[in-house]
Amino acid sequence: MEQKKRLELIIERMALARARDILEEAGLTGYTILSAMAGYGGGRRWRRSDLSTAEEMTVVISIGDEEKIEKALAELHKLLEAQIGVLSVTTVDVLRPDRF
Amino acid sequence: MFDVALATLLSPVVLFFVLGLLAGLARSDITIPEAVSKGLAIYLMMAIGLKGGFEMAASGLTATIVAVMICGILLSFLLPAIAFFLLRMTTRLPSVDAAATAAHYGSISIVTFVAATQAVDLSGLPSAGYLVAVAALMETPAIVTALLLAGRDKKKTQQSAPTGLIREVALNASVVVLVGALIIGWVTGAPGKAQVEGVFITPLQGVLCLFLLDMGLSAGRGLRNGWRMLQPATIGFGIYMPLVSASLAALVAFILRLPPGDAALLMTLAASASYIAVPAAMRLALPSAKPSIYLTLSLGVTFPFNLTVGIPIYILIAQYIAG
Repeated sequence: MEQKKRLELIIERMALARARDILEEAGLTGYTILSAMAGYGGGRRWRRSDLSTAEEMTVVISIGDEEKIEKALAELHKLLEAQIGVLSVTTVDVLRPDRF
Repeated sequence: MFDVALATLLSPVVLFFVLGLLAGLARSDITIPEAVSKGLAIYLMMAIGLKGGFEMAASGLTATIVAVMICGILLSFLLPAIAFFLLRMTTRLPSVDAAATAAHYGSISIVTFVAATQAVDLSGLPSAGYLVAVAALMETPAIVTALLLAGRDKKKTQQSAPTGLIREVALNASVVVLVGALIIGWVTGAPGKAQVEGVFITPLQGVLCLFLLDMGLSAGRGLRNGWRMLQPATIGFGIYMPLVSASLAALVAFILRLPPGDAALLMTLAASASYIAVPAAMRLALPSAKPSIYLTLSLGVTFPFNLTVGIPIYILIAQYIAG
């Protein structure tokens, strides 16, 4: 087992394309995107709408070396100055470190 | 004349919307599966686009049609400026929220338009299919006006995503399907109509009931979750702004001597507020504007108002001005 960093970004659907670009430009070898069902924030409940993508939120998960995650964090921070989102980084143990 | 308004108000389409709205407000567990809902939306865009195209193939392109199209575009540019001014005068919304909200009121709601088409048909008033093309043309100019209004504060606008914004505005599903179906209907004409009317024309009213039940649920839930974000003056704007917009469209219809069915549909287009294309564009172009304000207002206040009260009023005014 080896320690890596796990980045979890909850971000609005409209900013997802830019977030993906940032992760790829930082050299991260993989990420997974999940669609969020519903939540609470900014004083109101929201839920995935079948009408407009404006309220859709997505979750992006990526695991990688600390320096690559740090590189992505700097750009993601700029992105989150304008767009709605929550960003967190945790330390995780991985079985196959050569994959990240 | 009032019988027509009452018949519109008590049509299955409107009553199913009201049922959905009340169920959404009352936290009912009615759910239309997401895939079904998205399929219904595409069906409606195709049906209304084809209907317009078939009618345009029959009538051809006249000077009046071109004039109405130009007036529709001008209205879409102008209405956000009026909406922005009224919002800044009557509410405490910051300029970026006012600009984003104003964009919704210059653009259109295609579902409101479809419902109005059914109401006009129900009233026995003839209407021309080219108004579908006017609807497509009125989708986006308002976004430009909103960006100009908000552009005075450069920090509030996102200048780095023009490609994404253009893509979202020009290629969003409603515009692509609506315009595509309109062109297909126009090109194929009467023979094309004969081939598809069993799927896209005859069942439209029934499918619209199902779709509006879902819309009612969305509007009710949106209103329940977001009403705290709206000041009374902002809610008032969501009700009087459609009447202001419809009045301007009525003036255009009067000057162009449009028949009552066409006049009612043009007024509905002007009075409706977008809740599909513009909110997505605003998240890209004006990310600091709060979606909880503009989405709740357009979907939770203006859409129900137009569907239940607005459309009958527009039909009455259209009949009056057409003599």
